[in-house]
Amino acid sequence: MSLEQATALVVRGSDWSESSRIVTLWTREFGRVRALAKGGRRLKSNFEVALDLLTVCNIVFIRKSSGGLDLLTEAQVEERFTNLRTDLPAFYAGCYVAELLSDLTEDYDPHPALFDEALTTLREFGGLGKLTGLRLLSFELTLLGELGYSPALRGCAVCQKPVEAGSFGATAGGVLCPTCRLKERDARPLSPGAWSTLVALQDDPTQWRRELSDRIRTELRQHLGLYVSTRLGRRPRLLPYLTG
Amino acid sequence: MASEPAGAVERLAAALTRLPGIGPKSAERITHFLLTGDRDVAAMLAAALKDVIEKVHPCRECFNLTEGAVCRICSDARRDGSTVCVVETPRDLAMLERAATYRGLYHVLGGRLAPLDNFGPEKLTADALLRRVQRGEIREVILATNPTLEGDGTALYVSNLLANTQVRITRLARGLPSGSTLELANAQMLTDALDGRRAF
Repeated sequence: MSLEQATALVVRGSDWSESSRIVTLWTREFGRVRALAKGGRRLKSNFEVALDLLTVCNIVFIRKSSGGLDLLTEAQVEERFTNLRTDLPAFYAGCYVAELLSDLTEDYDPHPALFDEALTTLREFGGLGKLTGLRLLSFELTLLGELGYSPALRGCAVCQKPVEAGSFGATAGGVLCPTCRLKERDARPLSPGAWSTLVALQDDPTQWRRELSDRIRTELRQHLGLYVSTRLGRRPRLLPYLTG
Repeated sequence: MASEPAGAVERLAAALTRLPGIGPKSAERITHFLLTGDRDVAAMLAAALKDVIEKVHPCRECFNLTEGAVCRICSDARRDGSTVCVVETPRDLAMLERAATYRGLYHVLGGRLAPLDNFGPEKLTADALLRRVQRGEIREVILATNPTLEGDGTALYVSNLLANTQVRITRLARGLPSGSTLELANAQMLTDALDGRRAF
C-alpha cells in the first residue's frame, strides 16, 4: 500500500452506506482510479463537496496492492464547471465525457493529454448552442486517437486503398472503399461534408467552430455514436440525450 | 451466482442485509432478536411491513407517499396552493416539513436526472408537474433539488419544461449554514454565500 497524490476529475459516484461513497476518479497522473471515500457523504469531512460529479479535485489516496478499491483519504475542490449547471445540452455532454472516460479506459492507464483536453472541453461547454455537438465530437476524436482507436478516414479501413467520403463502417473502423463496403454489414453512407469535417477535426481538434447544416451534424453524431458503441461494446447511456 | 438461502431464518437474514446500513452481522443480530425475543414484536413488524406495502402509494397530485388517494398536505386547505416546492424524494419532503416554515404544497419528482445511472427525464414526474402548473392555480415553483451537478441538472430540466408557462421559478438559496462560523465553512459554501448575498 502506498500513499499517492493526484489531480482528479470525478466521473462516477454512488452511495455505499449512510456516510460513505464509492467514486471513480479520472486522474492526470494514474488514469482511472476507483476508491472508497469513508465519510464522503458527510458535509464536514475530508472531502467537502469535492466528490460531486465532474468536479476537479486534488486527492490523496492509499493505493491497494490487492486490486480492490483504493482508499480516498482527502479531496479538495480545484475547479467546478458552473456552465454545466445552466445549460441542459452542456450538462448531457459533460455526463457523456464522464461516461467515455470512465468506461472506455482502464484502471491505472494514465493519459495526461486526454485529461487536459477533457478539462478544456468541460470549460468550453455552455452557451455554445448548436456548437455543443461539434465541441463534443472534437473531444471524442481526441479521446479515440489517444486510446489508439482513431477511425481511418483517408484510406479504406479494410484494404487501406485511398478513399474519401462514400461510406463508413463502425466495425471495420473507418471509411470504406466501394468493394469493401459490400462486405461490411454496418456500412452507412458518409457524405463529403461529414467526411471533410471528421478529417479537419482529426487533424486539428481546435477546428470545431464550423458552420454546418443540421443534416451534417446529425449524420456526424450518428457515425460517431455507432463507432463509440462498437469500441465500447454497448450503446453509451448518454447517446440518446445528445444532439448533433 | 450465490445460491438462495435454504431456510426461513437464513432468508430473513439475507433479506435484512439488503436494507441500507445493515451488514451480515447486524442482520444476524436482528434475526435472532426477532426469533428469541417477544414474538409479538416480530408479528407487529411483519404486519407493519405488510401494511406499508399494501396501503402506501404515491399521492395522485404530488407523488408524496400516502395511504389515501391524496396526501395530507395536498388535502390540507390551510396550505398555500399558489406555491409548489419541487423535491427529489419523499424523504426530502419530510426534511422540509421538519423545518416547519414552508406552508405551500410539494411535488415529488421521484429521483434526480442521472443519465449515467440510466435514470432519464422520462422517469421523473415532471410532466405531471407541468399539468399541475397549466391548471393555473400555481404562481411559484421552488426548485429544491439537491445542490449537486445532477440535482442542478434536474432543476434545469424542470425549469426548461416550465419555461413557456407564466409561473415564477425560484431555486433554494445555498451558502453558509445558520449557527455555524466562517472558520468551519468550506470554500464552496463561502463562494455560494458570496454569490447569493443580498441587501441587508
